[in-house]
Amino acid sequence: APPVCYSIQVTHYKQYPPNTSKVYSYFECREKKTDSTKDRKVKYDKTVFYGLQYILHKYLKGKVVTPEKIQEAKEVYREHFQDDVFNEKGWNYILEKYDGHLPIEIKAVPEGSVIPRGNVLFTVENTDPECYWLTNWVETILVQIWYPITVATNSREQKKILAKYLMETSGKLEGLEYKLHDFGYRGVSSQETAGIGASAHLVNFKGTDTVAGIGVIKKYYGTKDPVPGFSVPAAEHSTITAWGKDHEKDAFEHIIKQFPSVPVSIVSDSYDIYNACEKIWGEDLRSLIVARSPSAPLVVRPDSGNPLDTVLKVLEILGKKFPLEENNKGYKVLPPYIRVIQGDGVDINTLQEIVEGMKEHRWSIENISFGSGGALLQKLTRDLLNCSFKCSYVVTNGLGVNVFKDPVADPNKRSKKGRLSLHKTPSGDFVTLEEGKGDLEEYGEDLLHTVFRNGTIVKTYSFDEVRENARLKEGELKELLR
Amino acid sequence: MITHYKQYPPNVTKVYSYFECRRRNEAQFSEVVFFGLQYLLKKYLAGPVVTEEKIQEAKVFYQLHFRQAVFDEEGWRKILEKYDGRLPIRIKAVPEGKVIPRGNVLFTVENTDPDFFWLTNYIETMLVQMWYPITVATISREFKKILAKHLKATSGSLEGLDFKLHDFGYRGVSSQESAALGGAAHLVNFCSTDTVAGVLMAQRYYGCPMAGFSIPAAEHSTIISWGRHREKEAFESLLDQFPTGCVSVVSDSYDIFNACKHIWGGKLRERVLERGDDSTLVIRPDSGDPAETVIEVIRILEECFGSSVNSVGYKLLPSNLRIIQGDGIDLSSVKEILEKLRDEGWSMENVLFGCGSSLLQKINRDTLNCAFKCSYVESNGKGMDVYKQPITDPSKRSKRGRLSLRRNSDGFIETVEHGVGKPEEDMLVTVFENGSILQDYLLEEIRKNALLWEEEDPNCYQHNRDDLQAGEPLQKHIINGVP
Repeated sequence: APPVCYSIQVTHYKQYPPNTSKVYSYFECREKKTDSTKDRKVKYDKTVFYGLQYILHKYLKGKVVTPEKIQEAKEVYREHFQDDVFNEKGWNYILEKYDGHLPIEIKAVPEGSVIPRGNVLFTVENTDPECYWLTNWVETILVQIWYPITVATNSREQKKILAKYLMETSGKLEGLEYKLHDFGYRGVSSQETAGIGASAHLVNFKGTDTVAGIGVIKKYYGTKDPVPGFSVPAAEHSTITAWGKDHEKDAFEHIIKQFPSVPVSIVSDSYDIYNACEKIWGEDLRSLIVARSPSAPLVVRPDSGNPLDTVLKVLEILGKKFPLEENNKGYKVLPPYIRVIQGDGVDINTLQEIVEGMKEHRWSIENISFGSGGALLQKLTRDLLNCSFKCSYVVTNGLGVNVFKDPVADPNKRSKKGRLSLHKTPSGDFVTLEEGKGDLEEYGEDLLHTVFRNGTIVKTYSFDEVRENARLKEGELKELLR
Repeated sequence: MITHYKQYPPNVTKVYSYFECRRRNEAQFSEVVFFGLQYLLKKYLAGPVVTEEKIQEAKVFYQLHFRQAVFDEEGWRKILEKYDGRLPIRIKAVPEGKVIPRGNVLFTVENTDPDFFWLTNYIETMLVQMWYPITVATISREFKKILAKHLKATSGSLEGLDFKLHDFGYRGVSSQESAALGGAAHLVNFCSTDTVAGVLMAQRYYGCPMAGFSIPAAEHSTIISWGRHREKEAFESLLDQFPTGCVSVVSDSYDIFNACKHIWGGKLRERVLERGDDSTLVIRPDSGDPAETVIEVIRILEECFGSSVNSVGYKLLPSNLRIIQGDGIDLSSVKEILEKLRDEGWSMENVLFGCGSSLLQKINRDTLNCAFKCSYVESNGKGMDVYKQPITDPSKRSKRGRLSLRRNSDGFIETVEHGVGKPEEDMLVTVFENGSILQDYLLEEIRKNALLWEEEDPNCYQHNRDDLQAGEPLQKHIINGVP
């Protein structure tokens, strides 16, 4: 395939001012100061930086052009624009001088870093004055980092909600990393998206059914553990309904017996979730369940109806059929051999509603885990965190100029000026310095590190480092519980 | 998926499943465009997809992932040995591009060899991802309906309809693969795109040498790099660099209204007017309220450049001056803009639209309630219709038995359940069997299948389709030739 880009960028080499020798751009998750349109419950004040390494490895490193690719691109663009506008000369220059390696430099915050909105997260500039046009050629592929950033950020915000309620209703955070399971494989737009998105969720959690994510982590980040994500045997509707309407009990019995010594999740709403809980689990198969060990519970899965109402009713029914205990925080817990997983209609808002509703009804969050599909991996857009890639500095006729946009009709779309750096103030806050002010060294070192230069990845992060950078900090937990 | 082979009833020999976009009572979209299966088949399912290497890899992986041995090594090896790694599966589907009412079967999947009953639902996850190209193609076509209505009403014809909605979604989509698939789905209905990956996908998987076109266009970096006070120089340079052919210039870097009035309509006015008829300047606002901005911009341009009236009485800017609104466009904002333009007496010929995330990203599997469910099994030689029917949600009820799709005597498309459909009436076609792809649809025929009824019969009078209820338009659509 020809060098990847948006059509819009193909003709840009002709559009910059003459004698431009440098184009310097940056990426941020803009702050939205005036969000009058929606009364957003979740603020997303900070974002998790993740996913650049995947893009660098997969699309930007090494030899990205060959004579064949240049020829193919020339032909494709000729037809696409019905004109010869492709910068064949520019690409041949890269092929000949750099053996097809991209003469650009990318500096970025460490992956996994949690940074407040409105700060520079990475910068891109050409290293060869002839290739000033290259900076924005790679924009399209780099802007797609909005996706892993947004998945990781949204997943982490849900982790905070779960941590808060788990702590409040049980006094500990045991099992937090398994409380939100990725069910999103079938609901994403492609296989590639599945891999990227699932890996982003695994920055914060360890439970996933989207195995593609594990492949991405192993190939592009690496972990010390053999695998970064786990799952349990689970039924789906077809493995229940295939037995026939009058044989739901036989289906349940067969499946629970197939997996005696690991947790097994069994979807129970094919016909009537409440009947399944009360009569089948609660009576007919009760003896099989109580014999299971705490490390191998039956996990009952509702999958329809209003999420909170269904969860509460299921808990109530199970609570009548199985002996409840009160934990040391005064909340009800089912015996360890039976649990519930709610995997339908779960997004960050309903998650909040469910755990709050459970707390109100004195149910510990130990009883439940969640699965999220579309909301975790698909129902997200670049606008959620206002991810944006903009040019902030150029050198024309040897002179550096700080450039920016500032549309009169939308102050939120204003972009940063000049060369940028990211620093920590003495009080521990993050600050982006514009107009090259970072050179003055007032705020100490630049937190942006060069990760890519002239076709080579010069700094990598392991997934363990990413997870470490993104973990919930002491201060955050304290804040949540106040 | 991995552990399901252990969960089916003993002696199951066939698992038959189907895919639909379930019907919902207050659904916004009543019909869907079927598209994208050929890509999945060619890329992931055709030929020898099981190899010894993959089996070994999977075995090790799943042992770690489930922390126990659950992988069906024996089952997969049998596929390798018996079928040389080709999947013993049959898929029957509606021809690509066909427009089908919600709540109908779109494709079915079954195993062709009794030993591999578990395979049907194993490939479910991948096949459910069909929701994406179907949804993009459907939404893109819904845009087209709105655009067609207004274009016809304000200009008297549908000329240029194919270029009225430009795909700007590349940067806002979740991955390169999604960009390619979504981009191609949009090209079922339009010819205008910046998502090059979509053009390449249409080339490679649907046999279309060039499915979409674009024009040279500025973006903010190529304007602001000239400096705050050199916007005019930046604009002028663009006119110089692209003296013939169309060029699109984003004009809101600092002040869109000032740019239109004093630069385009002032200092560069002569340069704009001297451009040839096929060398249109397309001015691009990119901020502010979409409808208000477009109206204000067109007013300013009228002041500076004048206007004429077309054959149906609507105003036109000079023919080499147009506007493209590519910010904040979705189905409702585009309607709003077109209605306002019409109210102010402007023809839709003056504007084009660009759409990014609303076209390619702001959709999900629930947009059209896409679902894949098992409807029929065979065990111990006996067939049984199966289904789910949760009391907690009647809309999640699934279909029963073997299914076929037909056009009934009233002209409605309907799904026949319980295996009683007549084969000669079945619109579903076998597209995949035992590793081989049996149909190869070209984008050209897909586009024909997906045409709006107005496009097929350009002499039809404009109908007001907005207030038709779910049942009614189907009949009109079918009688007027939409498949």
